[in-house]
Amino acid sequence: MRFLWISAWKDLARLRRDPLALAIPLAIPVILGVLLNLIFGGGDANPQGRLLIADEDGTLVSNVLAGAFSREPLSKMVRVEQVSRGEGQKRIEGGDASAFLIIPRGFQDSFFQNQPFRLSLLTNPSQRILPNMIEETLNIVVEGEFYLQQVAGSQLGSFQRSGPPSDAEVAQSSIAITRVFNGLRKYIDPPLITLDTVISPDRVQQKSFGAIFFPSMIFMAALFIANSLSADIWKERNSGTLRRLCATPARLATFMGGRVVFVILVLLSVALVGVLSARWLASVPVANAPGAIVWLALSGTLFFLLLLWLSLQASTQRGANVTANLVIFPLMMAGGSFFPFEAMPDWLAKIGAWTPNGWAVVRFKAILDGTDTTRGLIVGTTVLALLGAAVFFPILRKLRKVASA
Amino acid sequence: MIEIDQLRKSYGEQIAVDGVSLTALPGQIFGLLGPNGAGKSTTIGCISGLLTPTAGHVRVMGHDVVRDGSAARQALGVVPQEIALYDDLSAVENLKYWGGAQGLRNPKLRERIQAVLESTGLQDRAAEPVKRFSGGMKRRLNFACGVIHSPKVLLLDEPTVGVDPQSRVRLLDLVRAEARAGTCVLYTTHYMEEAEALCDRLAIVDHGKVIAAGTLPELRAMLDERDLLKLSGVFDPARVRDALQNADGVEVLQVDSELLLLSAADALKKLSVIFSAIEGAGAEVRGTTLTQPSLESLFIKLTGKELRE
Repeated sequence: MRFLWISAWKDLARLRRDPLALAIPLAIPVILGVLLNLIFGGGDANPQGRLLIADEDGTLVSNVLAGAFSREPLSKMVRVEQVSRGEGQKRIEGGDASAFLIIPRGFQDSFFQNQPFRLSLLTNPSQRILPNMIEETLNIVVEGEFYLQQVAGSQLGSFQRSGPPSDAEVAQSSIAITRVFNGLRKYIDPPLITLDTVISPDRVQQKSFGAIFFPSMIFMAALFIANSLSADIWKERNSGTLRRLCATPARLATFMGGRVVFVILVLLSVALVGVLSARWLASVPVANAPGAIVWLALSGTLFFLLLLWLSLQASTQRGANVTANLVIFPLMMAGGSFFPFEAMPDWLAKIGAWTPNGWAVVRFKAILDGTDTTRGLIVGTTVLALLGAAVFFPILRKLRKVASA
Repeated sequence: MIEIDQLRKSYGEQIAVDGVSLTALPGQIFGLLGPNGAGKSTTIGCISGLLTPTAGHVRVMGHDVVRDGSAARQALGVVPQEIALYDDLSAVENLKYWGGAQGLRNPKLRERIQAVLESTGLQDRAAEPVKRFSGGMKRRLNFACGVIHSPKVLLLDEPTVGVDPQSRVRLLDLVRAEARAGTCVLYTTHYMEEAEALCDRLAIVDHGKVIAAGTLPELRAMLDERDLLKLSGVFDPARVRDALQNADGVEVLQVDSELLLLSAADALKKLSVIFSAIEGAGAEVRGTTLTQPSLESLFIKLTGKELRE
C-alpha cells in the first residue's frame, strides 16, 4: 500500500519537472474556447444603433414621443440624437443611423384637436432589425397617444386652448379625468382579460456562451489529459522502468493504483481551476461546484483507464498513439466534447449522448445546472467505479505482457 | 544463491533457452557469456520472474521464482541492460522510488541512499535530474538502483555497455565489492576481457544452450593452451584443408573463401610452415591475427564464430 503513494508521488514529481506534458493538452481546449468565444460569444449581445430625431414641434407631446426611445430596453440598443431636419437627411442618406424620425411642427395641436397628422420615419435599408424595432416602438407609442386622446382628449385639449389653467380648471379637469378612469375601472381593475405568459423552458434559462461551451471545453481538456497520461505507459515500457518494476516485490496493481491516484489528483486540480474560472471569470452558473469537480475528475480517470487499455492493445507506441487518436477524436466530436450538443443537429446530439463521454458530459451539465440529484450523482459515480474496476484488471494482465515483451 | 535446473523457454516453435542448468553461489561472480540472441537476457528474465519458464526450475535463495515469486524477488536486485531510470527525476528521487519498490522505509532507505550515492560517486549530483547526467553516470545510477536494498542475489545484464573506461573500472569495482559482501552475482557481458577479469565461474551460452562452463582455468584448459590464428584473404577451402592436413599440430577451425581460422600450439613458430602450405594451395593472404589462448578463442573454437558477431 505504501508503494501506491510512492508511485503517485513519483508521477507527480515527474509532472512537476515536465509541466509541458500537461500544458499541451490543456492549451488546445483553452485556445479553442477563446477562439469560439471571439467568434460567437464575444462582446455585447445587443445590437447597437442610432436614431436621429428632428423634433420641429418641440412640445410636451413630441417630447413624450421622442422620450419613448430613451427607455429600456430600447435605450440599450438605440442611441437617440436630436438633429435638424437637414442634418438628419444627410446622415441617414450616408448610412450613419438606423432611422431618422421627423416630428413636424403642429404635432401637439393636431393631437389635442384629434386631427390626423403625419410623422416621417426614414429607415436605413442596409439594416434590418433595428429599424424594424424603432418602427414598431413608434407605432406602439403613437397608438398609446391615440387612446390617451380618446379617453382624456377634451380635458387635455382645454389646457391647450385656454393657456395656463387656473386652480379651479385643474380641479375640474382632475375630477373629469377621474370619472373617466373610474368608468374604465370595471374593465381594467381587475382586468377582464388576463394574460398568462408561458415562457418555454429554453427561454427561462437562456444559457450564456460560457454555459454552453464550458462543459465541452473542460471535458475536451480532461480527455486530452487522460490520453496524454495514458500514453506515458509507453515511456515506462520503452525506458525499461516497467520491466525493472516487474523484477521487484512491488505489485503491478499497486503501481497502477498509484497511477490512478495521480490521475485523479491531476484531474481534480484541473477541474477545480476550470470550474472556479468558469464561475468567476466567465459567469457560468455552477449549482454544485464540488459535485462537478469530483464528477469531472472521476469520469476523466475512467477515460484514462479506457484509453490505457486501448493503447496497450497496440504493439508499438506509435500504434498506440494512432489507435487512441482514432477513437478519441470521433468520440469528442460526437460526444459533445468538441462542439456542444446545443450546436449539433438533434439526431447527432441524441447519438452523441449515448457515447461514453457524451453520457458524462450530459451528467456534468446536469450537475452544473443543479438538475442532478445527490442520488443521481451517487449512482453515476458508482457506475464510473464499476467500469473502472472492470477495465483495471485487464490492464494489469496486459501490462505484464507488455513489460516482458 | 541461484539454482537453475534444466531451464527451457520457448515462444511457439522458437526455443530461446534450451535446458540451461547452472548454480551460482553467494560471494561468487558468475559470468554468462554469449552473443546476441544466445538466450542470456531470456535466462535473466526467467530468474527475475519477468518471464515464466516453459519448463525447468529456477530458485533464488531457495525460493522458486514461479511458485514463491514475491520472496524470490525480495532477495533479488536487477541491473538491466537498458538505463531503466526516470530522466525527469533526480538521482535521489530515483533511488527513493526503487528503494520504495523494494519495500525499504526510512530511516533505512535514507541511509542506503547515502551509501550507494557515495559508493557510485554521485553524491555531488544527487539532486540533479538524471537527464543531465553523462552516459557513465547514468550507468552508475542504474547500478545503484539495483543494489539500493542490499540484495542477496544481483543480476547484471551487460551493465557496462556504452560506458567510458573510467566508469567501467568503477562499475567493475562496485560489482567486486558486492561479491565481497557475500552477494551472489550473475553477470552477462559481451566483453571477454571483462569476464576474464571479473568472473569466478563462467558459462558460455549459444543458441539457448550452455556449451561450456567452469572456472577460467578450467575453460582455458579446454583450449590446450593453443593459439588462434586468423587469416584473411582469398582461399580455396578444399585445397587449403588438404594442404594443412599434414601440418603438424595445426587444426583448421573454419575456412571459407575469405577467412581461415586455425588453432595451433605455439603458432608463432609454425607461421612459416602454415604460410608455405596455404600458398601452395593457391591462397592469397592479406591479413593475419594471432590471438593467445583466451575466452574469445575458446568461444571461437566452440562455436566457429566470434562472440560479437
